[in-house]
Amino acid sequence: MFLTLQTNDKRPLYQQITDGIKSLIAGGELREGASLPSVRQVAGDLGVNLNTVAVAYRQLQDEGFVTVRHGAGAVIAARNPGRIDQAELLPPLRTVLTQFILAGLTTHEIEVAVRQQLSLLQQKGGAQ
Amino acid sequence: MTAPTEFGIALFSTIMIVSGFAFNLVKFEWNRPLCNGQGFYLGIEVPAGFYDGPGKSWLKSYRATLIALHLVLAVTLAVLMALKLWNWTPAWAGGSALLYVITLVTLHAWTRHKLGTNLPVRAVAIAMESRRLSDYIYWPLEALSASIIALSWGLLLHHDGMHIDWLPPLQMTWMALVLPAKILLARSGSPLPAERTEEHFKYQDAMRRNGISYLNIWSWGCLVLLFGVALGRNCSPAVLPWLGWLVGGVFLAVFAYMMIVIFSGIRLAATLGRDLRPTGSFATPFRRAALPKMRRSYLIWFAVWIVPILASSVYAVIR
Repeated sequence: MFLTLQTNDKRPLYQQITDGIKSLIAGGELREGASLPSVRQVAGDLGVNLNTVAVAYRQLQDEGFVTVRHGAGAVIAARNPGRIDQAELLPPLRTVLTQFILAGLTTHEIEVAVRQQLSLLQQKGGAQ
Repeated sequence: MTAPTEFGIALFSTIMIVSGFAFNLVKFEWNRPLCNGQGFYLGIEVPAGFYDGPGKSWLKSYRATLIALHLVLAVTLAVLMALKLWNWTPAWAGGSALLYVITLVTLHAWTRHKLGTNLPVRAVAIAMESRRLSDYIYWPLEALSASIIALSWGLLLHHDGMHIDWLPPLQMTWMALVLPAKILLARSGSPLPAERTEEHFKYQDAMRRNGISYLNIWSWGCLVLLFGVALGRNCSPAVLPWLGWLVGGVFLAVFAYMMIVIFSGIRLAATLGRDLRPTGSFATPFRRAALPKMRRSYLIWFAVWIVPILASSVYAVIR
């Protein structure tokens, strides 16, 4: 499986890596127990600083998506860390929806876009 | 029965190297700029109609450089043969490899500089699978080769006061030490274009494995020679001719096998990469994509490895 990074994305690179890995987990491509490539490998392949990838991995670890095992590197933890309250997820969702509304999209268009994205995640296999 | 002479082995090896160079030139290098189709020149994206305009002179210059390079190699070899300087052939082989690599790397770098970097790809991808050294390097075999080196040196050091020329075994040991290069190749990777990522990934992995196989075979060829030399110091004179033929035969078989693997690897690369965006033809916001053997770390290793070989080969002749 591959992590794709858009070059015109305005998010910082470490955030793109974090979000990309979360997306792979959500899509079921990275399952519990799967090993992530080492920080050195990802940084070397992309040609970026080691710290950029290390920060992304640390963020995933802090959020409970990844555990670091001695000798095995970073390993995917349970898909639902269980520590995130639904109420915590609503503010970022509201922010994104606000951007859609400000961009002039109708309610129907927003619903279609959300359904498309959800469907894309589910197609990758395993999102429920 | 007499043992094979150094002259015989040098002659046979030279014939094989020259045949390899000639085959490589005709079969692969001559049309390399065109191997990715009309939209590319030497792996660099070019505008439509390039080959009707400036492309003609680019192609002509590329081929002229190749001819000049091979002429230099052929003339130096011819001079060595005419002067019967057979002991210079190892230095010629090493020097040829160095000159060949330097010329082609410079040619690629110059072409990229002049034809410019392609537009960056809009999305890049990287494989989220761990690439472990053990996926590429078979450690038991590495341990075996280290044992052979240790055993050979054990035999060489146990020589009962007999005079030994230490330079050839030192050279062979150094030549066999290619593990750092294999590690560099196994660890090397480039960002992949987001289109046809799987195919690009397979191509990149095939290139990595090809490079490691060449080094493996090369290393075993050197080990055969080293072990043969070490055994020769410790066996009776009656066995020496047989040992010489055996070691020479095995070495040449390994050498021939390496040539076959190299050419089948080149063919595989051409097949896998035919319709893909050539590696090195695109830039990412982070860095350019590059073939494993064109990476700076690998080239530095190559220079550090080959210079002592060349220097010692020259020293062996002039001392």
